[in-house]
Amino acid sequence: MNILVCIKQVPDMESKFKISSDGQWYEQSDLTFKINEYDEYAIEEAVRLKEKLGSAEVVALSIGPERTKEAIRKALAIGADKGVHIHDDESHKKDSFQIATIIASYAKDKNFDIIFLGMQSQDRASAQVGPILSELLGYNCITTIVSFEYQDGKVNVKRELEGGIKAKVSAKLPVVLTCQLGLNTVRYPTLPNIMKAKKKELITINVNELLNEQPRVINLKAYIPEKKKGGIILEGKSDEVADKLISILKEKTQVLR
Amino acid sequence: MKALLIGEYKNGHIDESFYELVGFANKIGADSFGFAVAPLDVNIEYAGKVYIADISKAKEYNPKVHKNLILKLIEQENPDIVVFSHSSYGWDLAPRLAAALKVAQISEIIDVDNDEYIVPFCNAKLRRKVKPNTQKAVLTLQAGAFSPVKSNAAQIEPLDYIEQDDNLEFQGFEITEKTGVDLTKAEVIVSAGRGVGKKENIEIVRSLAKALKGELGASRPVVDAGWLDPSYQVGTTGQTVAPKLYIACGISGAIQHLAGMKKSNFIVAINKDKDAPIAEVADVFVVADLLEFVPVLTSKLTK
Amino acid sequence: MNFQLTDEERMVQDTVRSFAQKELKPIASDIDKNHKIPDSIIKGLAELGLFGVYIPQEYGGAGLSFLSYAITVEEISKVCASTGVLISAHTSLCANPIYEFGTKEQKEKYLIPLASGQKIGCILLTEPEAGSDAANVSTTVKNEGDYYIANGNKIFVTNGGYKDIGILIATHDKSLRHKGIDAFILDLKSEGVELQRNEDKMGIRGTYTSVFALENIKIPKENLLGKEGEGFKIAMDCLDGGRIGIAAQALGIAEGAYEKALEYAKERKQFGKTLSEFQAIQFKLADMAMHIEAAKLLVYESAWIKDNLKNGASYNDLIIKSSMAKAYASETATYVTKEALQIHGGYGYIAEYEIERMYRDAKITEIYEGTNEVQRIVISKQLLK
Repeated sequence: MNILVCIKQVPDMESKFKISSDGQWYEQSDLTFKINEYDEYAIEEAVRLKEKLGSAEVVALSIGPERTKEAIRKALAIGADKGVHIHDDESHKKDSFQIATIIASYAKDKNFDIIFLGMQSQDRASAQVGPILSELLGYNCITTIVSFEYQDGKVNVKRELEGGIKAKVSAKLPVVLTCQLGLNTVRYPTLPNIMKAKKKELITINVNELLNEQPRVINLKAYIPEKKKGGIILEGKSDEVADKLISILKEKTQVLR
Repeated sequence: MKALLIGEYKNGHIDESFYELVGFANKIGADSFGFAVAPLDVNIEYAGKVYIADISKAKEYNPKVHKNLILKLIEQENPDIVVFSHSSYGWDLAPRLAAALKVAQISEIIDVDNDEYIVPFCNAKLRRKVKPNTQKAVLTLQAGAFSPVKSNAAQIEPLDYIEQDDNLEFQGFEITEKTGVDLTKAEVIVSAGRGVGKKENIEIVRSLAKALKGELGASRPVVDAGWLDPSYQVGTTGQTVAPKLYIACGISGAIQHLAGMKKSNFIVAINKDKDAPIAEVADVFVVADLLEFVPVLTSKLTK
Repeated sequence: MNFQLTDEERMVQDTVRSFAQKELKPIASDIDKNHKIPDSIIKGLAELGLFGVYIPQEYGGAGLSFLSYAITVEEISKVCASTGVLISAHTSLCANPIYEFGTKEQKEKYLIPLASGQKIGCILLTEPEAGSDAANVSTTVKNEGDYYIANGNKIFVTNGGYKDIGILIATHDKSLRHKGIDAFILDLKSEGVELQRNEDKMGIRGTYTSVFALENIKIPKENLLGKEGEGFKIAMDCLDGGRIGIAAQALGIAEGAYEKALEYAKERKQFGKTLSEFQAIQFKLADMAMHIEAAKLLVYESAWIKDNLKNGASYNDLIIKSSMAKAYASETATYVTKEALQIHGGYGYIAEYEIERMYRDAKITEIYEGTNEVQRIVISKQLLK
């Protein structure tokens, strides 16, 4: 079985963000980058499937500048077999459609049976790449999966809906699956596997070889939202703050009398 | 401007999020009409025409079937924008539809200013202003971002063009058994977030809930860590609540959580990080370590 | 000059850091209180490959650089110094000498289980009358043909309580001083090995510091490490390599305490201002950070030299720099933990805030594997020769 996992390197979301000088994105210097959380579930699930099947190849693909290789190396250390780095110093300026197009041009003649992606990236958070990719490749697609099983040429998954409800869905191969929190617990790459990953193949392709499309969404500007005004901020000694809070609650809510 | 609004049929009725799409269409001054996969006798409180594809034939979930229905309708009505709620249905279907139409898709819109849309990114810490680079566009709207508008019963137009697809099979729902309480009926909810640090500390938050005669709730990380079972979860993937008083203890305020509680009448946030996104919805923000502050508050309330 | 970690080293840092923060940090206080590192943690460390970071993969290790090993000990020690020294003593004082001096058979039999973490290693070197003066050991061995018979007492055996594998340093003729010293691989479950007690200590309370009595224990002759008379050289070599491990542990302790102090200073309010707004605290933080950075450069450079001995790096340089790293990083650890505690005020003295533990843990790094006075002897000897 041929499995493709698409991963993205994103900043640590705990970071303090600044807007870049062109006003279009966040400033990328001084940030720590790591694999998008949802993509980690995708890697883990792909590797689990490979381990279960015994014979399968997992290709980990990522688009971005040179630093992106580190994310691919991590995927290789977790258990992917081969890395594909699509070099693009301006990947943050590509819209979801362009990103999906790049992946589709790489994947179109490779006969992947299953393509795993995160359900969204933590930075852009559009949740579009997976479904668009499935349209471009003519694959089936199920988004936001929290449970996965492969049996007799079909995938059986649960997708998470609102209100604690899940939908049980099965689909024929080939299929694109987007992974949600709760799907699995990602293993730590072990030190021996980090060393072994060094020897695995990692190829680099220039983005210009794969993309010849204009964005469908234009980014006008990025900014930091203003804080909501009117909210009361209380700080100081716990004892005094608690008294203040109780008096506010007595005044403003009917809960305390 | 002509807008096609996509409704979702859930739990026996058209989901309330549809009326927020109506509010959005009104706000931008668009003529609108609707579409939903639902029973033909569904009740929709909307002053306009809604095309209904029979749910017994089109099934609850089959994106390809639903997409083809909408494509057919677009061919017939030629709307400029197609609008979804940014839900598990919307984010699944909207990009496919946009790809098929070769048009822009903009996700999770929270505000609009002439054909320019505001969307959150980086965990809602930042915003982007974007606009479509194509004539038509497919949009998804963040739940709660636009005020709902309701009116009389809609004019229902059955849509009988339903093409089956056997590549994908919807096999039914799985409902998490509710072992906890129904938070939607609680007047006071005190919720615990990642900031409690460990399972044992949940009791600190539970004591405050008890002191206020309220219910205990939780954010997703607490549930994922196994500290509380999923029935306690507030947020898009848990329960959507609107109590008289909501106290968020150690919850940073991920968008999924905010969407589930921001309609509460009065919101108190207790958090060490003044910049936490929960500040956006809090009426009172207590800057404190919950482990230190909450016990003090509880003891004062129980005196 | 290239100050960048390799991709692999960064990945090691990332993996060990996540493990330390997620699995170890929440129970570091319990480890201190219960005087024990849970078996589940040891299993986790073994699964990650942290018991043989730079040992080649054919002998059960991860085959990474020595710098990766230093980073591992540093990241673990940031949250739990006891677990840091568990790895450091195991690797530097037991797995390393077998790797450096062992025969192929010895490596297969003992190094593989050690490097893969199935067994925990230690060294039985110090005696009541012989600490830094290692040539003065009085534990005796007698060559009986197929085996040796050993008798004596050993103290301060870090990791001894696991009773797995130890390197025994003993003499076959005390009159020969260091030339009479031999090293053996000792199965601590052998008859005659008596674990008398694990010491009650000021810090690193999660690790065993054990006292052994050895009475007529039979050691098979194939367990002699190196040749007869090479024991002193082997013991010294252990301590040379071990210094970088301890330096990394000390660096980690300092960083862990500094991070806590920084966070606390930003949160804690007094007189309507956060502590971090007072210049007295700002200067403390700046001084702490400076010392940490300097210590880190020394530790990383020493590890880098060890990695590059085959590429022409100087062995004398290694001796001097690793001693400097050990002395400087350990003094940084005691200094930084002291200041971090001071910044915490009264809360720093309370166990719940964890700073007092770090303060207690830091002290030993100035003492073991060559006191800082001994390090200064080593450094000055190199300078003056």
